[in-house]
Amino acid sequence: MANEMDGRELAERVRLIESMMAEGRRKQESWGWTFVLWGVAYYIAFFWSWLGRFAYAWPVTMIAAGVLTGVIFRRRHGRNPETTLGRAIGSIWTAMGLSMFIVLCAMGYSGRYSNGHAMIAVFAGMLGLANAACSMTLRWRAQFICALLWWATAVAACYCGDALLLPIFLAALFFGQIVFGGGMMIAESRRRKQSGASHA
Amino acid sequence: MPELPELNPVIHGKLRLALLSLLVGVDAAEFTWLREKTGATDGNLGAQLMKLEEAGYVSVEKKFMLRKPQTLYRMTEAGRAALTEYVTALKQLLGAAI
Repeated sequence: MANEMDGRELAERVRLIESMMAEGRRKQESWGWTFVLWGVAYYIAFFWSWLGRFAYAWPVTMIAAGVLTGVIFRRRHGRNPETTLGRAIGSIWTAMGLSMFIVLCAMGYSGRYSNGHAMIAVFAGMLGLANAACSMTLRWRAQFICALLWWATAVAACYCGDALLLPIFLAALFFGQIVFGGGMMIAESRRRKQSGASHA
Repeated sequence: MPELPELNPVIHGKLRLALLSLLVGVDAAEFTWLREKTGATDGNLGAQLMKLEEAGYVSVEKKFMLRKPQTLYRMTEAGRAALTEYVTALKQLLGAAI
């Protein structure tokens, strides 16, 4: 059968394989919204706990943000197939979220929350870890800059005075979550327009 | 002169080849996603997927997601090996044709 085929037909099969493989691997995930959502959630939790409701503020806000992330993700990406890369990135953030939830809740309920410097250093260090792991997996420099920002925040939280702690933390949240996530959303929107996709 | 390899007829069909090439890049894919990517009709797509399943190249999982039925297709190890073999044979044939 094959021997009767001409070169053009064989080349057509090669092109078909290449185009379908590229289609299957085409980046379909859009993650910018998760950075913005979690950035807003951190702000809400922070100000809520600042009002003196620490026992509820962080657990309730974090669980609500987690549920909201799951619901939005299902609605936006439910039909897209899972890729190994997508699962790796998702695993990094899930593991980071669980670690942060467990450690910060333990710190809070054990009374160690009184040391705000340590709390913010742990928080920023974990975000630095997750961003760095993702940037290395995706080979994406912009996210590594985001990781550097969080690591710098962790170091600054250890050394700065009490008066600077809050502004440093809020600024890091703004640039590391809201600005970075907003930038990603704009870039993803441009990419979708270029590729002509009408969904995701 | 070395003998030219035969191309696997199960994989050689255009739609079946497209389906295996799509599935090789993902963990699992829904029927609707495969339909969207290939532009095939439900009937034709279902028939070709069944042929691939009978050959042991894809596995099927049916489940419910948020109360909606979902059919997931995965490439098996045999399917991966067969596609690799097919591409190797294709390269050899192309080399001979040029």
